[in-house]
Amino acid sequence: MTALTTVLTNIDAIFRKELQSYFKSPLYFVIAGFFWVLTALFLLLIAQNIIEQAGQMDAGRQLGQSGSPVDVPNLVLQNFLSVMGSILLFVLPVLSMNLYTEERKRGTLELLATSPITNWSVALGKLFAVVTFVITLIFPVALLELYLLSTAKPALPLQIFWVGHLGLVLLAAAVLSIGMFISSLTDSAIMAAFLTFVVVLLLWIVNALGQALGGVLGDALNQLSLLKHYSTLSQGVLDTPSLALFLSYIFLGLFLTAQSIDLFRLQQS
Amino acid sequence: MIDVEHLGKVYGSTSAIQDVTFQAQPGEILGLLGPNGAGKTTTMRILSGYLPATQGNAWIAGYEVHENPMAVRQRIGYLPETPPLYADMTVENYLNFVVKIKGIPAGDRAAKVESALERCSLQEKRKVHIRKLSKGFRQRVGIAQAIVHDPPAIILDEPTVGLDPRQVIEVRNLIKNLAGQTTVILSTHILPEVSMTCDRVAIINKGRMVSSGTLDDLMRQLAGGTRYELEVEGDRSTIAEQLQRVEGLSSLDWLAPEDLPAQHHKLRVSTETNQNFGKQLSTALVNANLGLYELRRVGASLEDVFLQLTTEELTPENPGAETSGLPSESSGEEASRVEAMNLPPAIEPDGPSKEIKS
Repeated sequence: MTALTTVLTNIDAIFRKELQSYFKSPLYFVIAGFFWVLTALFLLLIAQNIIEQAGQMDAGRQLGQSGSPVDVPNLVLQNFLSVMGSILLFVLPVLSMNLYTEERKRGTLELLATSPITNWSVALGKLFAVVTFVITLIFPVALLELYLLSTAKPALPLQIFWVGHLGLVLLAAAVLSIGMFISSLTDSAIMAAFLTFVVVLLLWIVNALGQALGGVLGDALNQLSLLKHYSTLSQGVLDTPSLALFLSYIFLGLFLTAQSIDLFRLQQS
Repeated sequence: MIDVEHLGKVYGSTSAIQDVTFQAQPGEILGLLGPNGAGKTTTMRILSGYLPATQGNAWIAGYEVHENPMAVRQRIGYLPETPPLYADMTVENYLNFVVKIKGIPAGDRAAKVESALERCSLQEKRKVHIRKLSKGFRQRVGIAQAIVHDPPAIILDEPTVGLDPRQVIEVRNLIKNLAGQTTVILSTHILPEVSMTCDRVAIINKGRMVSSGTLDDLMRQLAGGTRYELEVEGDRSTIAEQLQRVEGLSSLDWLAPEDLPAQHHKLRVSTETNQNFGKQLSTALVNANLGLYELRRVGASLEDVFLQLTTEELTPENPGAETSGLPSESSGEEASRVEAMNLPPAIEPDGPSKEIKS
């Protein structure tokens, strides 16, 4: 086997192993159920709310009041993506908490560390698997959105839909990558989930500070804010700096994970 | 096949192992024997590449474990103290996963997994989730994991610990069947385990090598009289002449360590009786006006270790359980050996070692 196929085989092996364990664990079914019920509820509420508002404004315009026409499907999609992003941010720490803590507790890290597989392959396989799980979470909801949006006239350009959901997946991947690093630092899943949630809170704080503070500092925080870049993508703007930022966060998480696994081994007594 | 030279490992300020050196020839089973906490696990973790050594080198199939970690990882199977199992996988899926990350090409994987299942008698459990397996079966899955890719070297850390006597016998037979094609290193603190499974043994205590050789060698060392190591300054023939006058001396070997000053000689002498003849030795040398720089009884450290080892596997609640499943001739032989080990004849009331240094 060439070096590349070896690497791909290894990533694939980890990917399948991880995915298999998600679909056997009741925890993940509970998470999925919780996520689907909550998002479907919000989707309907938001759609109803905005349609009502638009109706009122239409009525107002007919009575001679000023106001521009409302792009209902676009508004529904953006509001909903923002809400779904927030719900997901609560779910992600729970998804990433077991990525490495379990391997550490059960001693299976010793198997991985003595097999001809690199830390990078392990981390990538794990990240792909957990992101795939997130995609399976989002998929049915996205179908529901598509169904709702298809009733709109004029139809919403599908690019907005695709770019928005790509943004959602990238946001999830970035947070999961950092969460994976955190889970590689501790034996305790609760600790890993808690610390990852703290990171999520920090994301919100950075975002809020970036908006509140003006000037260079505010600008810098805005540039680093995952949520700011997520909202750019959710408007359907396929913005290169935003993509680059998401990929940088993902890379950072992978890099730190690969390093911490070695460090943990060297320091172990 | 497996070469370990002057291996040392320091954790913070405590040293876990020091100057550990041994070899395992292709196809043989080497037992790493020592009491709990002797440094066996640390040694094995270094060999497997899991931990870096602070000093020394280890080669497996010609590859140094730190210079060429990936090459070594491809050539070893490793069973840590706790088998590294994924509880929510079936036995078959688990082995399929392991064989894949061990770098076996896709076409050969199924056959390798099949052969590992067969060798570990796991065929009937292939569809069972590891979570549901008994400890003995889990241990077998752990061994299957270590042999599934047919590595030239296999490292097993306490493979029979915590198993019931029947399972112990099964696991030992499994290991014995590996010999010939594969080099096996296994660690244990149970003395009979070594005599039943291993061709050679390396004994380690408090992080240091005590002795290595075949078990018979070691038994001879233990039972066969008293030995002294000496460092003497003077003419070689004069030394020999003086020592040969000591009554009861049966052998005299010249040792040649590298860092000896000129005119200094190191030698080992022994008697077949267990009589302590240190006094006669020193008197003879000093009377001949030879410089005696070191006089040390050896073998005593071996006795120390043996006393700490588990010399039998019978528990008070469970007498005879271990031997019940064994063929009668071998169990008889084992029993007498165990007895001999329990009472090393060379122990003296005045302490196990004497040292005179100038």
